[in-house]
Formats: sequence, C-alpha cells, structure tokens
Amino acid sequence: MSAKVRGTISRTIMGANGLELRFVMKSDPRYLQVVRGAVGSLAAAIGWDESDCMAITMALDEALANVIRHAYHNRRDGEVELMCRESAEGLEAILSDRGEAPDQSKICARKPGSDTQGGLGTHIIRDVMDTVTYENSPAGNRLILTKRFQKTI
Amino acid sequence: MKISVRDAGSIKIVDVQGDVDMGTSPDLRKVLLATLPETTRLALNLEAIRYIDSSGIATLIEVLKRSQGLKKEFVLFGLRPAVENVFQLTHVIKLFQVFKSEQEAVGAS
Repeated sequence: MSAKVRGTISRTIMGANGLELRFVMKSDPRYLQVVRGAVGSLAAAIGWDESDCMAITMALDEALANVIRHAYHNRRDGEVELMCRESAEGLEAILSDRGEAPDQSKICARKPGSDTQGGLGTHIIRDVMDTVTYENSPAGNRLILTKRFQKTI
Repeated sequence: MKISVRDAGSIKIVDVQGDVDMGTSPDLRKVLLATLPETTRLALNLEAIRYIDSSGIATLIEVLKRSQGLKKEFVLFGLRPAVENVFQLTHVIKLFQVFKSEQEAVGAS
C-alpha cells in the first residue's frame, strides 16, 4: 500500500470455520482498489470462477463506494469495517459504518438499459448478490450481503 | 490512473490506464468534457483499463449525452473482458458505439 494512504487495514485470512477477511479502514476512496484485490482473491479461494469473482468484487466495491458517498458524503475520515467470510452456502459480507443512515425509501436500482446515471451501483449489488439487507441501530449502519454458490449471473 | 490525449487524423483519442473508480473518475470526466468540444469525434481507449465501476460508467453516460447535445460523436474501443462485464451488468453497452480496435474506431469516422 502506498505510504500516502492514511489509515489502518487489519486482515485475518482464516476465520474459525473457514476463510475470513476483515478490513477496518477510513472512508477514503483510495482503499477501494486495495479491497477489490483482496475480495477477488478471497472469492477465488472459496471456489468461485473468474467471472463470479469479478462480479462479487464489483458488488462489494459498489457497496463500499456507496458508504463513502452517502453515509459519509465523501468525507475521508469516517470509519468503515468490511468483513467477508466463507459460509456454508457461499459468502457473507457485512459492511459497517457510523455515518448517516440511508433513507431506504430512496435506495433505488436503475432500470436496465436506461441512460440515467444514478442507481447503477445499487443495480449491480442487487443483480450479483442473492440477499441484500440494511440494518440501522444507534451503533451505526450495517449492510449484509450474501451470495450462494448456485446462483448464475 | 493515467490519462493522455492524442490526435489520430481528424479525431481525438483519450488513452486511460489503470482503475476508474469513484476516486479517479472525476479526473477522467474533466479530460473528456474538456476535449469533446475540440473534435468532431472523441474516442476513448479502454484497452489499459483494469477496472471500471458505476461512477466511471456514469461519467461515460454523461459524456455521451453531452456529445449528442453538441452534435459530436463519442465512441469506445478496446474493452477488455473485465470492463465489458461491467457494461453488461449495467446494461449500458447498447448505448455506446463500441469498436474492437483503434483502427476501426478511427476508420469509422
């Protein structure tokens, strides 16, 4: 990682019952590239093929970008945690932040094929992942994403 | 990400190298929108792009719309499979004129 990037990344490659990866980082978009590299490698190690690894990487990249953009309004000093782990069915990812809670009524995916610019990221997340769950609490926001092995995208 | 602009006959080609994401797409947007008025056809070379996210796609859609308003052409060439995946997942590939090579992109003008 470049010395210019401020913050800390802690990683645990092996969880208790399978592969697990955990990042604790600031809401700085320079971490996106770092996370993409690690998530793609984790998905490959769990057993997905190259195409699925790319799709999973894109979905998590878009989810992290949404946190930076919407929860922290592009501030670079917010705290973000991303945990990805192998589950019995495939992959589970939990993205946590302490930024502004999303207005779930305004979260909308873009219509396929339209030329509007908004909602592309949400469309990718929902298209790739099997379940997408938002949770809000006084402790912060959590986005829980899962992907099962059998889904074909 | 590295961006450069060059002439190829009567058209302008923008070469991009690296990852286009929410951290780097504003720079690409700035160059594309500044170059567009200077040519009748603007071609974006995606051959050396390793990754493009939705903010990058949104930038390309914005430039496409601007080009239509200015009666210019905005075309793409050199899509690698990883980049093409993003275009397909977002269903925007049909919005753009896409060529396999620079020769085709230039020759079609």
